[in-house]
Amino acid sequence: MMGRTDLSLDFAGIKMKNPIAAASGVFGYGEEYSRIGDIRAFGAVSVKGTTLKPRAGNPPPRVAETPAGMLNSIGLENPGAKVAAEEKIPWLRQFGVPIIVNISADTYEEFSELGTIFKDVEGVSALEVNVSCPNVRAGGMAFGLDPRSCYRAAKAVKDAFGGTVIVKLSPNAADITAVARAAVEGGADALSLINTLLGMAIDIRSRKPLLGNITGGLSGPAIKPVALRCVYQVAQAVTVPIMGMGGIRSWEDVVEFMLAGASAVAVGASLLVDPLLPERLTRELAGYCAREGIGNPGELVGAAWR
Amino acid sequence: MSLLVNSNTIGAGAEEARGHSGGGALREIYDVNAQVVSVAVVPGEVYRAKLVAPEIARAARPLQFVNVEVSQGPHPFLRRPFSLSWFSAAEGLVEITWAVVGEGSKIMTQWETGTEVRVLGPLGNGFSLKDIKGEALQNADRPRLWLVGGGTGLLPMYPLAKEAASQGWEVALFYGARSMAQVMDTSRFVKAGCRVIVATEDGTYGSRGRVTDLLEPVIPELGHEDVIVACGPVPMLRSVKNLMALSAAPLYVSLESRMACGTGLCKGCAVRAAGDEEKYYHVCSDGPVFRADQVELGGAP
Repeated sequence: MMGRTDLSLDFAGIKMKNPIAAASGVFGYGEEYSRIGDIRAFGAVSVKGTTLKPRAGNPPPRVAETPAGMLNSIGLENPGAKVAAEEKIPWLRQFGVPIIVNISADTYEEFSELGTIFKDVEGVSALEVNVSCPNVRAGGMAFGLDPRSCYRAAKAVKDAFGGTVIVKLSPNAADITAVARAAVEGGADALSLINTLLGMAIDIRSRKPLLGNITGGLSGPAIKPVALRCVYQVAQAVTVPIMGMGGIRSWEDVVEFMLAGASAVAVGASLLVDPLLPERLTRELAGYCAREGIGNPGELVGAAWR
Repeated sequence: MSLLVNSNTIGAGAEEARGHSGGGALREIYDVNAQVVSVAVVPGEVYRAKLVAPEIARAARPLQFVNVEVSQGPHPFLRRPFSLSWFSAAEGLVEITWAVVGEGSKIMTQWETGTEVRVLGPLGNGFSLKDIKGEALQNADRPRLWLVGGGTGLLPMYPLAKEAASQGWEVALFYGARSMAQVMDTSRFVKAGCRVIVATEDGTYGSRGRVTDLLEPVIPELGHEDVIVACGPVPMLRSVKNLMALSAAPLYVSLESRMACGTGLCKGCAVRAAGDEEKYYHVCSDGPVFRADQVELGGAP
């Protein structure tokens, strides 16, 4: 019965055997995950936000639990593009799962340089331009709040890289559809959304902000309605495919995001809680499709507004 | 020796994961559906539960921990990390002991025999005598292990105490708590052959003072045959580190941290490396035990 359901898709040229990806920032470069679960369970993996130079990350505490979710202020701790390109990606390649390299920069020139570096790295299926990280001072989210800046960041990467470029959008923009359209004009072949929402927590005992970096990014089930709304709006504003994310932890969530207009989805914070989640989601999504007589979940994409 | 294996309690995911070769990477973390076999309130105002988790029990080392699901719903969202206060590969059981400090630990007080919870582990590198063999202890006639525990920091050190005592080490435990009500049961340390000395801040049990007051007088006699392992609140660890600064004996500290995944995925449990503003270790994947001189514990050096 399940054999009739085909979960595979072509996401802007990325051949995914199922629509469940690992979101950037909860998967590292796969080494830690390989000790817990099977990397091949993912349809694609987006590696840790990678910068030109290594980054140590923000001072602790870096995580805090909040209602139905969590805050993080990791601050893009990563080994830098050189180590990622020469050691991390070649190792991750062995699993045969499409690799999306998430990149973050302070300037357009750096974005361009990152595009050039990863252009020649075997096994990179796409670059995901992080214009939405709320945890770094310069650059980061600033590129994703303004359509003009987003256009330039997308263009800088596309011109240098040439291959598939995904732009990861911030829900903190005043008008996410305007930023989305600008990203596509700049050359984005796909969009991923949403990154975390800017938030904070205060320790009532010390009477001070709980996170070392004061503010952090909110993720988890708490943000799902916001993410769904963003996907629903953006999907109608652009024609490129969308990878939806934000609080996904069940097959019902996956279906909801698809109905809103996402062709693929990614699991983020919930992977930290349930590391074997992709295997379960894939199995349960296939079961749902079989029960409903759906040959490929692509049939669901955008049905909520079509 | 009886091998307690209940097939219903073995996490299918972990078994599946083992079936894949994982490209040569070592699979050693299991997400199991563990059944609670016993839960009780024990001295020190803490709860103690034993869970059936054969894969975790077999792979566990002293000072490792597990990440425990407290809710199947979206809230509380994160799992809770707990060190293993005891484990038995032969019995397929692991034990965690917790004080009620918040929402998650309070939910766990509802556990009863038969409750099933998802448990991920064993996590962290743990710490065993093999890790300290390089410390000029090789030639010691009778190496000595000094455990320094504050509050619930006593708990994770028991498996190490047992291992050391069984291998002919002389083991002593200095244990400090606020008051008699918070003093946990140390009888299992005594049974393992460990000398136990207790202090409470208000003097209601043992001697009056802090655990560092117990440690201070013995420091001059510590040398290359001694190893100190401390676990407890950061201010206590800092005091122990300061006291030990001039000693020849190596000091290890077991750290706690706010944590999300417990597996190295999120990089959330950062601790600053000593003397390097631009370097962090991670409690889950680099620790939880560190050489005291590796990490910044705050305060005066």
